[in-house]
Amino acid sequence: MPKIDINEAKKLAKLSRLEFNEAELANFVKEFDKTLEYMDTIQKVNTSNIDLHEKTINAKTQLRKDEVKNSFAQKDIIANAPQSEDGAFAVPITVEEGE
Amino acid sequence: MNYLKMDLWQVREALKTGKITSVELTKLCFKRIKETSNLNTLISTCEEFALASAKAVDEARASGQKLGALAGIPIVIKDNINLTGTKTTCASKFLANFVSPYTATCAQKLVDAGAVIIGKANMDEFAMGSSNENSAFGVVRNPVNTDYVPGGSSGGSASSVASGQCFGALGTDTGGSIREPASFCGIVGLKPTYGRVSRYGVVAFASSLDQVGNLTRSVRDSAIMLGVIAGKDEHDMTSSSNAIPDYEKAITGSVKGLKIGIAKQFFNDKLNSEVRSSLDKAIQTYVDNGATKVEVDLPSLDTALAVYYILSSAEAASNLARFDGVKYGVQSKKFKDLVDLYFKSRTEGFGKEVKRRIMLGNYVLSSGYYDAFYRKAKRVQKVIRQEFEKAFEKCDIIVCPTTANPAFKIGEKSNDHLAMYLTDIFTVPINIAGLPALSMPCGKNSEGLPIGMQLIAPHWKETTLFNAGDFLEKALKEGK
Repeated sequence: MPKIDINEAKKLAKLSRLEFNEAELANFVKEFDKTLEYMDTIQKVNTSNIDLHEKTINAKTQLRKDEVKNSFAQKDIIANAPQSEDGAFAVPITVEEGE
Repeated sequence: MNYLKMDLWQVREALKTGKITSVELTKLCFKRIKETSNLNTLISTCEEFALASAKAVDEARASGQKLGALAGIPIVIKDNINLTGTKTTCASKFLANFVSPYTATCAQKLVDAGAVIIGKANMDEFAMGSSNENSAFGVVRNPVNTDYVPGGSSGGSASSVASGQCFGALGTDTGGSIREPASFCGIVGLKPTYGRVSRYGVVAFASSLDQVGNLTRSVRDSAIMLGVIAGKDEHDMTSSSNAIPDYEKAITGSVKGLKIGIAKQFFNDKLNSEVRSSLDKAIQTYVDNGATKVEVDLPSLDTALAVYYILSSAEAASNLARFDGVKYGVQSKKFKDLVDLYFKSRTEGFGKEVKRRIMLGNYVLSSGYYDAFYRKAKRVQKVIRQEFEKAFEKCDIIVCPTTANPAFKIGEKSNDHLAMYLTDIFTVPINIAGLPALSMPCGKNSEGLPIGMQLIAPHWKETTLFNAGDFLEKALKEGK
């Protein structure tokens, strides 16, 4: 039966770009074990004959013509940005001067 | 004449024959929204836009112009559907101030058909939930009994239609998010075949399972709305170019020769006895009117929910990775550097259930677990699809309950996420198989709470759902 420990939970949180305090993490581990136990019920289904590379519905590749078209106006897209500068998304400095 | 109690098709006739104008009707809806504000159905309204649309339809009608299928009819859309200039929050703190820079194809089709969009419906955050208790804008109440949940995640859409605030609503259904709230609120909810309706402009939860559909007060209304929103869209490569039948014409008034599939897996011992007896009566009505009953077998059905939570969480974790606090949405004020900005913004912006799904999704996708969970779930998904295909060799439609129990009380399951997930046990298999399904009322329990019946058809056979659904709806009314 799959189980998760607090260190794995911390690693998952980091992968998810989420922060939890110790109490939240402990509670999370408890809940997660219950969830995983339930998820594990899929193991009982025999899938040895299943080929995942076979065609499924809507599997026809649909290509569009490669044409130049108007898309969104820069000002409309930037309007939702928490911070912008000169029509670009603004982020904190990631490379310091002189580096 | 109480117009707000009318079905969409009835009010369409009233508008056509000039008994009421769209402006009058729209004003009645806004009055109703104010009177029933305790239900908390809508996150935002667009009164000015709505009244201008209504006026334009009235003028077009007066000048004898050809009008669309929903001309002048007030409609609500779920708040994960973009409509230019309106807030599209997905009921998340993260998007509390997000203003749509474009319109989703399904919403544009409503507008092109003359519909009057009056507001954006409350929902579970990012469509993750079965009770509408996971909304950053507060819980939605069930108009049948306000102590009860309306279901989720399209709870605002369902409550709005059921309380007479509008004549139809758009919702989205990834694992039951249209059918479960429709069932809890005593209305009709349709989840079309995957690919029938474009998802362009709908905020993605689990892209391979998400499908836009509608919530209405009658089956005929559902057919009318699907006819408007269905179709190929160059912006959504999974949308289908299959011909769109005249769904309303598919309603024939007869179920003679219809083969109804019954799978014992849907009628297990956990099924509420009042739900069971309502279903038995409905099935008997079909049989009494010339349909036949056949037994079908769906042996892997009980694993569909686990498959669903693995696949949908995996896709959600990937889809929600775009919420970084840079391009749109909430940006934390307390970050040290760029990576910390991602951590802080996401931690502050997302609610508990959304975080839980992201974590679960990243778990099943991470090395060491990918094969055991994600890949295995994809394989089981295929087994479930094959079982449905085999079942439909013997029948035209499968009938089952939408949920094992009627609506539950607000707060009753909010601390037990697994119990909450189990609410969707009969609806998720349909998304897993990409099939169309319709939930419709088929009775009430002793407390007066609605009981929902689910009709499932083979891919692209929404026509069968509408014909069988409409038949039962009329039979129940007439006591056939």
